Amino acid sequence: MTYTARFSVIGVRQFNVKGSDVVKPKRILMAKTGLDGHWRGPTIVARALRDAGFEVIMIGMATTAEIVAAAIDEDVDLVGLNIGGHIDVALRAVDAVQSAAPDMPIFAGGTIPPHACKQLEAKGLEVFPPGSMLTDIVDSANRLTGLSTAQ
Amino acid sequence: MRPKDPQDTVQACSDIPLKSYYTAEDIPDSHAERVNVAPGEAPYHRGFHPSGYRSKPWRIFQLSGFGKPEDENERIKFLLKNGETGFIMEHDRNTADHCYNVDHPEVLARREDVGLTGAVMQSVRDTAICLDGLPMDTSFGHAGGAVVQHAPFALAAYWAVAKKRGYDLSKLAGTGQSDFNLTYLGCVTKQQIPTDAGLRFNGDIIEFCTEHLPRWVPVSIAGYNGADTGLTPDQELGSLFANAVEYLDEIKLRGRIPLEVAARGCGGVSFRASIKIFEEACKMRAARLMWSDLLKQRYGINDERVANLRIHCVTAGSKMAYQQPMNNLVRGALMAVSAVLGGVQSLGVSGYDEALSIPSEHAHQMSVRIQQILMEETGLTDVTDPLGGSYYVETLTAQLVEKAWAFFEEILARGGYLACLDSGWLHAKAEENQHKEFMQTESGEANIVGVTMAHDDSSPFEIDGFIGSDDAFDVALERLKEVKRTRHEKGAKTALKDLERVCRGSDNIMPVMMDCLEAEATLGEVGDVYREVFGDWRTPIQC
Repeated sequence: MTYTARFSVIGVRQFNVKGSDVVKPKRILMAKTGLDGHWRGPTIVARALRDAGFEVIMIGMATTAEIVAAAIDEDVDLVGLNIGGHIDVALRAVDAVQSAAPDMPIFAGGTIPPHACKQLEAKGLEVFPPGSMLTDIVDSANRLTGLSTAQ
Repeated sequence: MRPKDPQDTVQACSDIPLKSYYTAEDIPDSHAERVNVAPGEAPYHRGFHPSGYRSKPWRIFQLSGFGKPEDENERIKFLLKNGETGFIMEHDRNTADHCYNVDHPEVLARREDVGLTGAVMQSVRDTAICLDGLPMDTSFGHAGGAVVQHAPFALAAYWAVAKKRGYDLSKLAGTGQSDFNLTYLGCVTKQQIPTDAGLRFNGDIIEFCTEHLPRWVPVSIAGYNGADTGLTPDQELGSLFANAVEYLDEIKLRGRIPLEVAARGCGGVSFRASIKIFEEACKMRAARLMWSDLLKQRYGINDERVANLRIHCVTAGSKMAYQQPMNNLVRGALMAVSAVLGGVQSLGVSGYDEALSIPSEHAHQMSVRIQQILMEETGLTDVTDPLGGSYYVETLTAQLVEKAWAFFEEILARGGYLACLDSGWLHAKAEENQHKEFMQTESGEANIVGVTMAHDDSSPFEIDGFIGSDDAFDVALERLKEVKRTRHEKGAKTALKDLERVCRGSDNIMPVMMDCLEAEATLGEVGDVYREVFGDWRTPIQC
């Protein structure tokens, strides 16, 4: 299917120039799994990622099917999930992305209680609950997209 | 936070530089004459009434609800038993905010989310279950319907239940909020009616209440939802009164009810009480002063029963930390102090588990206990406007008023409050502030205890978030089928047809909405009419 969520690219970094080679920026899809449109968290994170040189594609509140379609159609390097509801809804999105694109890294943020963080981490996600620092989130994006190998 | 050097600039949240101390010289001349006014006298910044909390304590008023209507009913009864003095019905965000039934594809895709943030109420039967045994006739009730497009349905459901129980609507006290800031600024829905249709709904509610429910607060502008999205206190004030102007101008244009009556209906507002104690207390004082001046200067209204603003406050959810959640009890208490010092009439304290989930029963109980301690033990209620006359507080109140009017004027110059929602201008302001605030924390310029300092890894106290009930979706789906199977189908369809006709015309929507609820039309069917007639708001931000 194609995804129907309204989306926009909220930032494109200056192309990096290494010698004469133009480096394509890494692309991150950001989506909200729930139908709750609090936008403060995802917007702050998206801005930090843009400032760090990523191209961020935000599709807002999206169903599992829409998230998978967007991840593939937009040829992204990383999927970011903003989670505010029941963890089972988010886990379903994670499973679907991992099944459609087994190598796709995913990270998540939002009001995620500790038990739910553990469930996401068990699926290989890096998780950023409230109080996380933007520098840690950007570091994670660099690491997950292969821009840095630092742990 | 302490500046590195005492001579460094310290700013209030509203971007006002603070001195290290204040004297009488600092109070602006324009405000100096107002300092000696008594509480209960115009322009009311010193308080609603001279005897303040001695004669009437604030209302303990907590947001509450989750799961099935009976789960929400049980929680509300628990809160009332523990000392709450009004009650608020929360509706499930997935269904209510979007006017969807649970069988809508967007909801089916997230069935586990259903009931997580409020009870599912798709027909008057559900609302009746939620209100079972609740003191609708003696209590101030919040019918939910905080979201503009949902308000007519939620209000009509509440009133239909009241009528069925034999209560006289003209004696019913309560509110439904119906606030633009909530879903057009703070927590944007995936789909909702455009702002002009929303303004028409709110105008209709104000007119309908004037005629049938004079004790009801028809709309309650919630500065909270702007502030917790990022607006600074001066911007919260300025945008709130710019919003009030939209309602009053609309009512004036219609010319069907006296403007004083409409102004009385708009004069129950809500603010966020955040963590900067003095600035927040000043904000409540500034709000009363501004309302009185707005009515007098723009509309020629001087009636003290109208010009005296009533304020509900909720403590800032976004100030509650995920880490070391017990610290939030202290934060909740202090934010409540700021509201009480500001002389508010009604108060809700966010749960200590706010950063993880909706409140657990214990978190809810503590929110009530905090208020009871402030009310009964601290002496905060002994003297009205205890901060009045403080050089600092009077100066900051006057400065906030000035900055807030500047923001108000800027909104009006940009076409008004709703135009600034449509264009995304208010969102951009909020986003800029969010970013600034976050970067202050990130850079170490501002601290959050337990988050950026004072980590407590040796004896962490962990809570795991309240989940509520796990059968809200299944029960809601069953009940939806049941109501469609057993209602008088022709009656429901006729009412919905009437609703569509009224939506396309200009008659008041509320009488026909009452017919819809009494005929057991469901939320999603009403939403389908809206979507057909009004279309969708073009959301100016991507979140």
